[in-house]
Amino acid sequence: MLKNLAGLWRHRALAHVLVARELKARYRGSVLGFFWSLLNPLLMLAVYAIVFAVIFTGRGPATSPYAIFLFSGLLPWTWLSSSLTDAAASLTTHGALLRKILFPAEVLPLVSVLAQGVHFVLALPVLLAGLVLGALGVFGPSIPLGWPLVQAVPLFVLEGIFVAGVGLLLAALTVHFRDVKDLLATVLSLWFFATPVLYTLSDIRQERVRALLLLNPAAPFFDGWHEALFYARWIEPSRWGLLVAIAVVSFFLGYALFDRLRDSYPEAV
Amino acid sequence: MTPAAPAVAAEALSKSYRKWGRTRAFGTLKSALLGRSLAAALAPSEVVAALSDVSFTVARGETFGVVGPNGGGKSTLLKLVAGLFKPTSGRIAVDGKVSALIELGAGFHPEISGRENVVINGVMLGLTRKEIERKLPEIVAFSGLEDFIDEPVKTYSSGMYVRLGFAVAVHVDPDILVVDEVLAVGDEAFAHRCLDTIAEFSRRGKTIFFVSHSLVLVEELCDRVLYLQAGRIRALGDPRETLAKYRLDVAAGEGTRLATEHRKNEEILLRTAPDSGEAALRAGETSVQREKALFLEGVRGREAPGAASAVERASLHSPFEEKAPLPETSRRQETELPSEKPLEQKISPRRWGNRDVSITGCRLLDASGAERYAFRSGESLTVEIAVEPRFSIDDFVFGIGIFTPDDVCVHGSNTETDGFLPGRLDGPATVRVTLPRLDLGTGTYLLDVAVHSRRETPYDYWRGACRFQVDSPDRDAGLYRPERRWEFAGAVSVSAR
Repeated sequence: MLKNLAGLWRHRALAHVLVARELKARYRGSVLGFFWSLLNPLLMLAVYAIVFAVIFTGRGPATSPYAIFLFSGLLPWTWLSSSLTDAAASLTTHGALLRKILFPAEVLPLVSVLAQGVHFVLALPVLLAGLVLGALGVFGPSIPLGWPLVQAVPLFVLEGIFVAGVGLLLAALTVHFRDVKDLLATVLSLWFFATPVLYTLSDIRQERVRALLLLNPAAPFFDGWHEALFYARWIEPSRWGLLVAIAVVSFFLGYALFDRLRDSYPEAV
Repeated sequence: MTPAAPAVAAEALSKSYRKWGRTRAFGTLKSALLGRSLAAALAPSEVVAALSDVSFTVARGETFGVVGPNGGGKSTLLKLVAGLFKPTSGRIAVDGKVSALIELGAGFHPEISGRENVVINGVMLGLTRKEIERKLPEIVAFSGLEDFIDEPVKTYSSGMYVRLGFAVAVHVDPDILVVDEVLAVGDEAFAHRCLDTIAEFSRRGKTIFFVSHSLVLVEELCDRVLYLQAGRIRALGDPRETLAKYRLDVAAGEGTRLATEHRKNEEILLRTAPDSGEAALRAGETSVQREKALFLEGVRGREAPGAASAVERASLHSPFEEKAPLPETSRRQETELPSEKPLEQKISPRRWGNRDVSITGCRLLDASGAERYAFRSGESLTVEIAVEPRFSIDDFVFGIGIFTPDDVCVHGSNTETDGFLPGRLDGPATVRVTLPRLDLGTGTYLLDVAVHSRRETPYDYWRGACRFQVDSPDRDAGLYRPERRWEFAGAVSVSAR
């Protein structure tokens, strides 16, 4: 397994061209092209800003202005959910490739995560603009802005590793049980509500529910995103340790299963 | 990597596939979710062996052919060589970089340009980005798609697609080139370029693994040939011998099919009972008219050669229509028989005649006396006809005619033309005629058998009574395959292939 993992590095050129292909193919034929990666989140921000300023008002001061709070968790969540959806289908949709060309199959789910990661990164300027506007008090009470924002970089890397692990697991399972793909949409929406994207864990009054939600391995990441972006606070080292542990364990579990079933893909897809 | 090491070495190589039932797959999901060992859950429920106990080595620089019927295991073997599949048991060692021309253009993304796809495909096949950028102009030139290279691949025709795929695959500069039926696609010019490229690879000492259904090509290109049948090695070695064995097996299989067909055919013909009466006569009236016209035309054509027509040609050469016109008095019946399928042949099995003498059976025998419907060119063929007269008769001629499916008469003869005078026919009898050397070219042939009077009154005429296959070992053309002797004199030199 470790040998395969090392071999993966040699295939970074392949991952690179495939990510480029995904991105190019995505916007081929649309007038605005790559600009959509920027425009989509911008429009989304506008919608949330309007909805939560006009319709759903009256939230607690902890998450206000809510549009910015929501946005700082929603973008990383979109990355997670779209990556997993793509990764789960990656082996089956590229079945022709797997059957015809010899290359490490794990490149495919990883490319899904990376390509979606590029969209996420392209959306970050919009998020940053939102934070700046939030700090200026455009959306209501002004929010702090400062150096803790740089924590977005390690958070991005760790979430990427975590999502890659889950993606590898899903991709491997989908080859053998196509049902996973259908089940995934529902599971992802359940997961969304179980993850502190729309709320913070401190909002949860019942201890038992909070304890249950803490079992969610994605929760610390979104806690982290809120801390770093919305509250502009430094994340405690022990929290970082937890994030690293979750990311590494997820990746190795996913990779181990993927590696174990490796030989079955060209035949089963 | 010692120079003596074979490029490919397979040892007792076996590959089986798992078959999954629907309920079974559900069961595995359940047990996988319940935490039972996933490996145990994924154990095969039913196993189909695609390749069993295959051992061979391919030397460096050798062009190695693989032939065999569909499902013989060729594709599985290729995928094992390419490293895509892992053997179920046994070992395969491949020394060198493999480039597989299995499905050209696999992995092209329809939405992006040909150029970008070439880069991606090249990287997938193991080139670095720099290498592929350097080779790009060469690849584009080879594909001949300069004008379209920046268009999205979805706008390409299938031929263009394959050309681009081939161009990339050969520029990967592999040590072992795996070629699977690529020559079947693309136009003539492209096929030539493919062959040239393959030949050039061979000259440069590369190993080529060549899979094709074109036996001619395999024989021409390959140093050695592996013949796979039902996943096992049926033959391995010299191309001529191996391919001869394959051709023989194909012919035998074809023979079995033809024998079955013959029995069905015979059943139909025999069901046309000798005295099926006036109704049958009326039903077949149009055919009767046509047949009569054919006879008369034929005879007239003989007398007045100027009035030749396509119809006459067949009847003219038919051995049974030599003499007088058909006596109107003869009691004729004819039945158009339903052909099993809309045959590619124009001749459908038909039978007519007054049945004073009936043909009760007809089959083909080989030199050993075994019934067979597939022959090699030059073999002996015996036609056996069983006859039974309605009453004791002393005016009879037995005849045979061999036709191509498009009704060209290849041969026709009868006891009359071959110098026999009828004695007596008192009861059931068997007539055999042997052609000691069947010097026919490759193809399907139809046999007519007939008994008629010396004045051509048909007693029983079976059109297309047997259908048989002939296979020529050479690449000669035409229906007739005579023995040849070449001589060369003067400033010319040749050598045996």
